[in-house]
Amino acid sequence: MSGEPLIRWDWLFAHLGPIAERVGQHLYLAAIAVSVGFAISFALAALSIRRRKLYPFVTVLATAAYTIPSFAMFAALVAITGLSVFTAEIPLVLYTIVLFVPNIVAGFDSVPWDVLDAADGMGYTPGQRWWRVELPLAVPLVVAGLRLASVSTIGLVTVSAILGDSFGGLGYYILDGYKRHFTTEILVGGLLSIGLAVIADLGFVLLQRLLTPWAARRTVGG
Amino acid sequence: MMADEAGRAGHGSGSRTGAVSLEFRGVTKRYGHSAQARGAVNDLSLEVPAGAICVLVGPSGCGKTTSLKMVNRLIEPTAGQILLDGVNVLTEDVTELRRRIGYVIQHVGLFPHLTVGRNVAVVPALVGWSKERQLARADELLSLVGLDPAGYRSRYPFQLSGGERQRVGVARALAADPPLMLMDEPFAAVDPIVRERLQDEFLRLQRDLAKTILFVTHDIDEAIKMGDLIAVMEEGGRLAQFGPPDEILAHPASDFVARFVGADRGLKRLSLVTIADLELAPIAASAPPGLPTFSPSTKLRDALSVLLAADSRGGVALDEEGQPCGFVTVDAIASALAEDRQPAATRSGGVTRQGATGVGAAAGDDS
Repeated sequence: MSGEPLIRWDWLFAHLGPIAERVGQHLYLAAIAVSVGFAISFALAALSIRRRKLYPFVTVLATAAYTIPSFAMFAALVAITGLSVFTAEIPLVLYTIVLFVPNIVAGFDSVPWDVLDAADGMGYTPGQRWWRVELPLAVPLVVAGLRLASVSTIGLVTVSAILGDSFGGLGYYILDGYKRHFTTEILVGGLLSIGLAVIADLGFVLLQRLLTPWAARRTVGG
Repeated sequence: MMADEAGRAGHGSGSRTGAVSLEFRGVTKRYGHSAQARGAVNDLSLEVPAGAICVLVGPSGCGKTTSLKMVNRLIEPTAGQILLDGVNVLTEDVTELRRRIGYVIQHVGLFPHLTVGRNVAVVPALVGWSKERQLARADELLSLVGLDPAGYRSRYPFQLSGGERQRVGVARALAADPPLMLMDEPFAAVDPIVRERLQDEFLRLQRDLAKTILFVTHDIDEAIKMGDLIAVMEEGGRLAQFGPPDEILAHPASDFVARFVGADRGLKRLSLVTIADLELAPIAASAPPGLPTFSPSTKLRDALSVLLAADSRGGVALDEEGQPCGFVTVDAIASALAEDRQPAATRSGGVTRQGATGVGAAAGDDS
């Protein structure tokens, strides 16, 4: 094995098609987890904001879920949901909640009270105040949550490879390379997974710039 | 710069809706069971005639902000009525009511995510004006408060100084031409120099706009400067005295009011009067050269200060053209304090004192 090059380019070029498919699967698994996780978290955050007493319970439960090792959770779920997409998605979704909820709650908490006072005083209805003032002003921290959750989820998708060949996205190559002592596969799986996480993160940074031209930045213009 | 613009734009906008009279009738707000709780208000009754500035002033926790917020129902009274032109605000739709009342607060509360232009046009947008009309109105108001629309309408609030923010806050409150403005410490968050300029400009604006204004401050000097009428409130949310500034200064109704307006209330009264209000003595032929001179708009307080600093018993009053027209003495200034005057009339033309009811009548403790 010492004679093997770090990357066998011939293998790489011969597998471009399957690699692209794995990238697609990786993104698909991550996107579902982040979307569903976001929807559930938004509801939990809204509940926590309205009933502050619930917030600690939500946080404790979300954190408890996060402490379960992903490896163990995937394995345990097989007994319940079999080898379905749920087995992969349930842990991924659960892990996003602890990242989303505090950011969403903090986002709405960050709306200055004087802005809310002014909005009420000028005659916004509660619905108008929420859509036109609170939600837009919560965007920076909500997007911060999206960045965290997407980066974390893209990494975790690889672990679902233990469920079998039809899961794992790029994690398939990491696992397969490990079994076969084939470094090229491990590197391709690992590096592409990192690349996806970086691209997703930069994408959300860009999204935030577009959504919040009003936020004070280090380079203040005008 | 704001004066000419105010003159121009003011006539177009100020006369549209006119002003309303404002009356508190036995208004009480209790928090919990204690009548002494912070911010509580106890049986407040006062009348503000249309077009007047009424200042609620008092120590912190005296219920002045609570009183203001009960007008646009951000706080609901426990008992009593608040009437706008005789109509009880509690009978009106709360959203509609608020859109008809201008609201300016200490921390301004500009929407950080909206440009200055859209901030100003917030209420016009809520009540469904067309986009073009909103934009035109925003530009008109930015000019009115002394901000060049071309340079400011597309900026975001974080790109403004504190003083500029306050101006935008005032413009926003005026946007739908409300007949009544509520101003809660609107100039408290800026430094004293900017504050004074904003106060002066606002008084100049108000001469054209003639809105009814309820103004809250903890600063007695600001109250004296801004108010046609002053309502002094004390702990427990009680009205200690209500009347024009000169009356409050000349005849504090209680020890509390006397203490609150300060031991220098005589000097403060002098700042309500100018050289032009003074009866001048003829200039004596023997008057030495080099005496201090005063323009007609010099406040007597400042004139006195100049005379004392110059160690001079008298100075020369100049007319509008800068020609000497009379002699001002320390004694003449002192005697101005002996008169009971009606300074409200000298500031905002349309205001009469008919609405000035309340405990002000119980004056007399002038010792």
